[in-house]
Amino acid sequence: MAVSPEFKQDLLGTIPNLRAFAVSLTQNADKADDLVQETLVKAWDKHESFQMGTNLKAWLFTILRNEFYSQMRKRGREVQDSDGIMTERMAVHPSQHGLLDLKDFRWALEQLPQDQREAIILIGASGFSYEEAAEICGCAVGTIKSRVSRARNRLQEILKISGEADYGPDAISAQVMGSSAA
Amino acid sequence: MTKPNPEAEKAARRRNGSADILGPNSEIGRKLKQYYDDLVSEEIPDRFSQLLRQLEQTEPAQKKG
Repeated sequence: MAVSPEFKQDLLGTIPNLRAFAVSLTQNADKADDLVQETLVKAWDKHESFQMGTNLKAWLFTILRNEFYSQMRKRGREVQDSDGIMTERMAVHPSQHGLLDLKDFRWALEQLPQDQREAIILIGASGFSYEEAAEICGCAVGTIKSRVSRARNRLQEILKISGEADYGPDAISAQVMGSSAA
Repeated sequence: MTKPNPEAEKAARRRNGSADILGPNSEIGRKLKQYYDDLVSEEIPDRFSQLLRQLEQTEPAQKKG
């Protein structure tokens, strides 16, 4: 069966979101675009397995994510090559004054473990429900919830934002107890 | 294009329920959206529409491997 024009149109429409997710995963614009390209080819090849009327964006995100992890596994140690970059990044500390800069935020996001970063992106930015994110990541809803929550706490810690929603005991005890509270 | 879609956001929040920890009152939540929306609003490189055109021209039956 040939790919329908609607399917093609929908694919095109999802590209901006796929690229944003790919950048979040790879932390690299070139790699992200290669990943999106692979995703589009895969999606095109198996378009018949997509059920019309279901969530195309979620379907594509799943393909992209699987592709990303299978590439990571194939490359194996090559990924460790980023260690140097990581150390370099660590040396650049975000400014601790004034309003939170987007550059600082990007830096903080890069410090998160992969699984937490993708969870917080899917939920907090891509607009998926916990159920959808769980399906995309092939894990339980509770796992996504806990990853999102850990990611948020870690970001707050890195960016030195005290508990926003709660000005109460939590923020204070966190200060008193220091890192042992985390 | 960069404008957030209030309806979609509302719907997302309804579905998420406890996603409020990343809601509009959360600085992390706001930054996250800003970070992502910046990426989404980037111009799409030509290579993607070219790719889809190429894929379209390839007969499914003639695919190699």
